[in-house]
This record gives sequence, structure tokens and C-alpha cells, in this order.
Amino acid sequence: MGVSTGPQWRITKLHVQLSACQRLDAKGTLRPTLISLFTSSQPPIKTAHQSPPPCSVRATHLLPSSCRQATKSRMSAKRKRPGPASDSVVTEHEKTVHEVIRSKKDMGASQWEMKREINVADNIITKCIKSLLSKNLIKEVKSIQSRGRKHYMSAEFEPSSEITGGAWYVEGSLDTEYINVLKEQCWRKIYGMKVATLEGIADALKRSNVSQIELSKQQVEEIVKALVLDNQVMEVKSTGTGEFASIPVGKVCYKCIGKRGYGGEPKLGALASIPCGACPQISRCTPDGIISPNTCVYYQKWLEF
Amino acid sequence: MVPQYGIKCAVNLITTHFGDHVAKVCECLLRKGPLTLQATVRFTELTSSQVKNCLLVLIQHNCVQAFVLEQSVEHGDAAKTNTQYIALFDNIIHRWRFTKFLTIVSQNLDKQLIENKKETNFKSGKSKANSKSINQRLTLKQMSDRAKSVQNEGDDVILDAVQEAFIKLLNAHFIERCPASEPVLTNPTKQEVSARKRAAKSAKIFEEQETLEQRVMEAAAPSEALRFLLVAQAEPAADGGKDETNSSIVTPGEKRKYDSLESETEYGAADEQVVLWRANFEEFIRRLRHKACVENVKTRLDDGAVTVLKAMLEATRSTEKKVKTDNSVPLSLNSIYEEVIKSEEGRNITFDRVRAALIQLSCPPLVKAANESYSIDFKKIIELAQNEEVESIVLKRYGRDAYRMFRLLSNSGHLLETDKIADATFVEKKETPKILYKLWKDDYLQMEKLQVTGAKRLSQFLLWKVNKNILREHVLDEMFHAALNLVQRVAFELEQEKEMLNIPRDKLLIRQRKVRLLLESAHMKLDDAIMLFHDF
Repeated sequence: MGVSTGPQWRITKLHVQLSACQRLDAKGTLRPTLISLFTSSQPPIKTAHQSPPPCSVRATHLLPSSCRQATKSRMSAKRKRPGPASDSVVTEHEKTVHEVIRSKKDMGASQWEMKREINVADNIITKCIKSLLSKNLIKEVKSIQSRGRKHYMSAEFEPSSEITGGAWYVEGSLDTEYINVLKEQCWRKIYGMKVATLEGIADALKRSNVSQIELSKQQVEEIVKALVLDNQVMEVKSTGTGEFASIPVGKVCYKCIGKRGYGGEPKLGALASIPCGACPQISRCTPDGIISPNTCVYYQKWLEF
Repeated sequence: MVPQYGIKCAVNLITTHFGDHVAKVCECLLRKGPLTLQATVRFTELTSSQVKNCLLVLIQHNCVQAFVLEQSVEHGDAAKTNTQYIALFDNIIHRWRFTKFLTIVSQNLDKQLIENKKETNFKSGKSKANSKSINQRLTLKQMSDRAKSVQNEGDDVILDAVQEAFIKLLNAHFIERCPASEPVLTNPTKQEVSARKRAAKSAKIFEEQETLEQRVMEAAAPSEALRFLLVAQAEPAADGGKDETNSSIVTPGEKRKYDSLESETEYGAADEQVVLWRANFEEFIRRLRHKACVENVKTRLDDGAVTVLKAMLEATRSTEKKVKTDNSVPLSLNSIYEEVIKSEEGRNITFDRVRAALIQLSCPPLVKAANESYSIDFKKIIELAQNEEVESIVLKRYGRDAYRMFRLLSNSGHLLETDKIADATFVEKKETPKILYKLWKDDYLQMEKLQVTGAKRLSQFLLWKVNKNILREHVLDEMFHAALNLVQRVAFELEQEKEMLNIPRDKLLIRQRKVRLLLESAHMKLDDAIMLFHDF
């Protein structure tokens, strides 16, 4: 392979390595391994808000959606041609609208909010927004609080977590796919270590390059606590003896629960194992009522042999 | 407080076993609390003799306890006394559990005992032991009559077997002396109440107010020294005939009852000598509680830990003063080891393995270690089992996201704001309030609104919380509701089968068996969960 610094070189390298990856078990491990390739060929990304590395169109479907969306917008942004010179002149109205948006800093503003603050006709505001966007003085951001409405922010600001939803949100939606991959990988690390501290889990994740984005300790903790809420993992304190021998006494650590594998359902309770347990109408069920055990369709189904 | 559907279940049980009139009297007492005979007649609109007979039946089956309430005296007046009757909800519900109790007896004592003893005691409530000697006629006669009707052996052989069985049951505390028929309760004076409150306050102890039922049962119960004591007493001479007359009205499986409802002149001196025996429900519930603890630990830890726990339970059972004990009596490692190697499963377990099992049991803290001694934390194990039961309902009924949210709120124990819940559980911020609202609507969560006045506008936040005490009562009521549904469905299925004339008989029988098995086993499993929330 020749040495080249252009995009073509990167795509060539990815193609060769992709073939090797495909021999691996595709279930859950292809994506992390593939993600790690970008980590090795590009410097790591510090935050979710910075642009991810470019990638082959063939491989993008395997990336987390955060990378996908950002990559698309970056590539489409590259294709924009510079506008005519007269576009750099900002009109009075545009200046007013821009000031309003800038005053909202990292919270941004919707068109409706702008109308409330400045007494200008809707069509003028719309025109101003379009013009400011084309001049790259403002940008459109997705807000989780008002997904239906468009939200605008002055170009020099990064949207706050109140708007974006936080590190786990992309384009206003929770990146559940990415979160689930991380959860499973975390669980596997804990299972392998039998008893693990938060630092141990974070280290293990970092070494295995599960995520293209370097996870902060807080983010790892959020993932592990979600596993606790899923009843996949339990939080315990080290006693310093037995399986906790290598962990200081009193230190919080994590263990996998029981004898079931990842994703296994907890034991079904007594009430949950009969139709009444799952019934949303139990409060309306009476012995002689319209909804009763004698007329219940769930019972009928349950007793069909 | 008895849950509403608990009362309905109890009434349904009594109706099935004793008929509508008895059920009416029982329901009246359950809903209105302790009543005199006159008040009961007034509320049930039955005749006085009907109510008397119903009360007789209920008392004989340990479902009602009579007591005398002495009302406070003022200005030198004579104390007012009246006999009241209180329904014993727990004892009524125990009637579902006879099969479980019989299983416990068979697992712990000889199988022969099942044939000779329990059915008489359970189903009839009280079996009179003649006061004279170990060969007490009425008790042994009732048991031996039943045994004779089943077995073809000589009278002496049967009597010996029955006597042996009786003693074994008594030694295992499966049977006990009946409580007093009409204990006297005095209302404490104002000074006594305030003195008790001051004492509790200064000792910084929270004293749970005793319910009236608890006070009645405490007053009626025989002392610990007498409770399991079998004493030979003098033969009633002149009354022998009358006893026989009285015993003639007792058919096998029925009970005798001595209280103010029957004429006192019939019994006279022999009455004081007669000892009545009954099943000791407390011991059975204790054993079932231990069994539930073992089952819960089995789902979490390995066989070694389970064997060690079983040994600790065996060693400390006899020292438990009440069923709902928080912790077992502490045991040293050596005592635990000695108990472990007595059992079949623990015969080959090493000392180090026992120590390792105890460390396993301390995480989560099911066994507490202090000063080289170990005690079982019953409260913790029962709490974990209850949590699992409720979480299972939430998962099944509302889905995985709701399950995570519920667990978050249940573990935190305080109010949490909607967005915080969304962040911690990785649920979309827009979806979170909808799920929380569903849980709140069905009384699984509590909600509070918080309004904050900011610089320019008013913001409203919703805060959510799990109140475990209220939730426990709510879930218990749902369980009783579900249990009643199961019972009702069994009855419905039996009625339906009578109308299924077009289906071949053998197919009908197979279906009938499957349906009954499914419904009845579901009922027994649900009853275990009811005990978890109500009795343990």
C-alpha cells in the first residue's frame, strides 16, 4: 500500500482490515472491533460533540449512530460552495434576530421564542434565519425538549446538555443501540473479573477499545448502575476477604447476579405467573362484574390445553 | 388492618366450609370488629339461636375468640363486663394451608402420624383430651375411632399408635393447648397509658401499638410452661355418663366446646379438668418462613451456602419467641459446623467450606457476623423476597423500562425528579413521564409536584417515590384478589364441565384434571407469596 494522506488511503486500509474482522463472531463483537479500527487509524475523539473520523460508506452502517449522523453532516458540509460576496452583509433585522439567538447562549431559541422577544413578522424572521444559516452565523440544533420545533443557536456555542439530553443523546434521541452494546461489554468484563471495581471496569473497557469515544469514569458508572437496575449486576462492598481479597475493605464493587447469563430474566414471582399478575384491569375486576375471573379472556387463554 | 380482598377470601372460605349463615356472622365480625351477641344479631338480621350456633362453629374451628371486656370503673360503680367475639382472620386463612401443614408434619415425623392425627385436629379445630391420664378417653377415643375405621388392627395397637403420635406431635410443638375460652381484658387507665408512653419515649423505643386482637390472644393463651404440657388428670366419675352423652353429640371430626354459649350445668367439675388441644399454627408458619428463606437463598447462592443456612435455622428454631423474629440467635462457627455435619447434605462439608459459605451469605448481608458469632437476618431475606415479588409484577405488567425506574426509586428510598429518573434508567425523556404516570395511577408510586419560581417564569417539576409500607399493603390486597379469582375460576370450571355433554368423558376428565392442577398449584404458590407479605 502506498503512503498517502488523502481520504483514499484511509478507505483502502479499512477495506483490508475489514476482511479480517469478518472472520470474527459477528454477534456483538464485530462492531466493537470495527470501532477500534478507527481508534487506531485516527486520534481518539474526546467528546461526542466533536466530528468523528471519516469512514467508508460500506462500513458506516456498523458505526454507532452518533458517528453516522455526524459523519453525514460533516461530509455534506464539505460539499457546500461559498456563496456570493453580498451574503456576508448582515441586515438590520438579521442583526436583531442574531442578537436574540446569541443572548440565549448554549440554550438556543426556537422561532416561536424569537417572535415573543422581538416584534417582527414571522416571514421576516424566517428569512433572517435562512440568511444567517447560510452565512454560518447560526446553526440548527436538535432539542430533546421540543423535538417538533426547530432550534437555533449562535455558531460559537455548543448546545448544553439540557438541549442535547446529555452525552447519550444524538440528534435529540437516546442512542439506545450504543448504550446496549456498552452494557453488554461491561457485563462481560465484570463476569470475567468475578468482582470488579469501577476503575477496573473502566480500565478493561479502555484496553479492549470497545468504544471509539473515550468514556469518562462518570459515563462508565452510569452504564454499570444501569446494569444494577436491570438486576444483571449487584453492587456490594468489599470485605477484604475471599473473592474480595485484592480490593480494599469498604470499597464499592460489582458482581454478576446469580446463575443466569446476560439478558436472562429474573425469576417470575407468584402473582406475575398468573393472568391477574399481568392484567392492567385488575382494579376493575370483580366476582360478578363485566370483568371477572369467569369472563376473563386471559384466563381462557391460560387454560387452553 | 385486614385488606379488603382478604376479607372476601376469608368469607368465601367460610361459605364453602360452613355455609351462608356462618359466613354472614364471620363477615359481620371481620368488617365491624369485635361485637357482642346482641350486636351481631342486630347486624346480621339472623335469629339469636342461629347466631349462637354460628359462633359455636366458628369458635370450635378457631376462627373466632370470645373475650370479656371489663370497662373502666368510675365513682365506685361495679365494673361493666360483656362478652364479645372477635374474628381471627389469620386462622381463617390458615384453612387454605392444611395440605402444607400436613406436608411439614410428614417431612418431620413419621408418615403414620398423618393417618392418625392431623385431619382430626385441623379440620375439627379442637380435640378434647380427657383430663385423667395419658389414655384420655375422649381424645384417644376420637382418634382411635377414626383409626379403627381405616385400619384393621386391634384396639390396643391403635391406641398405642395414636398415643405415640400424639406425644410426638406435642414434642415437636405441632399441637398446643387451646387458649382460654373467655379471657378477661381490662381497659388500661389513663395514668397507665401515659406512664407507658413516657417510658417508651425516654427509652427512645418505638412501641407498636398492640391491636385488640393481639391483646385478646395474649390474654387467652396458656403460659409457656403449660402450653405443650400433657398432664394426667383425675377421671370425672359421676359425670362419666354425661360426658358420654356429650361425646355422643361429637361425631368423629367435630369438636366439643365449653363456653357460655352452652349450658354450664352439664359439665360442672369435669369442665375444669378437661384439656382441649389444637394445631399450633405459629409453629407451622415459623417452619414455612424458614422454608421461604432457604428457597430465596437457593436462587442466589450455591448448595454449600444453602446447607449452612439450613443448619443455622435448625439449631436456632426452638429459641425463637415469635414468628416475625428479625434475627436468629447468634451462633459460633463451631456450633454451626457441628450442626452442618449432622445433616445428610452437610456430612462431608469441611470446616473451611462452612467458613467460606458464611462469607458468601454475608454478601448480600443475609447473615450478620459480630464478635465471632453469626446470626441470620430474617428481616433482610424476607425484604429481598418481597422486593423481588413486586418487581416481578412491575416487569410483567409495565415492561422493562418501568422495571428499571421502579428499582431505582425503590432502592433510593426518596423523591426523584423525572429527568433524573430518565437519565439514570436510559429512557427517553419524553417517554419517562408516561411510564411513571401509569405506575402512579395503579398505586405503585407516589407523586409530588414542585413549583419553582425562576427569574421570569414558573417551572413545575414532578417528583416520584416508592412508599414501601403502603405498597406492601396494596400488593397484598392484589394477591388476595388474585387468590379469590383462582378459587372462583375453579368453581366456574367445575360448573362448566357439567354442561359439556358433547365431549367424551375421558377427554373431559383429562382436561378437568389439568385445569384443577394448574389452578390449585397456582393458588398454593400465590399463598406462599401472601404469607411472605402477611405472615412472615
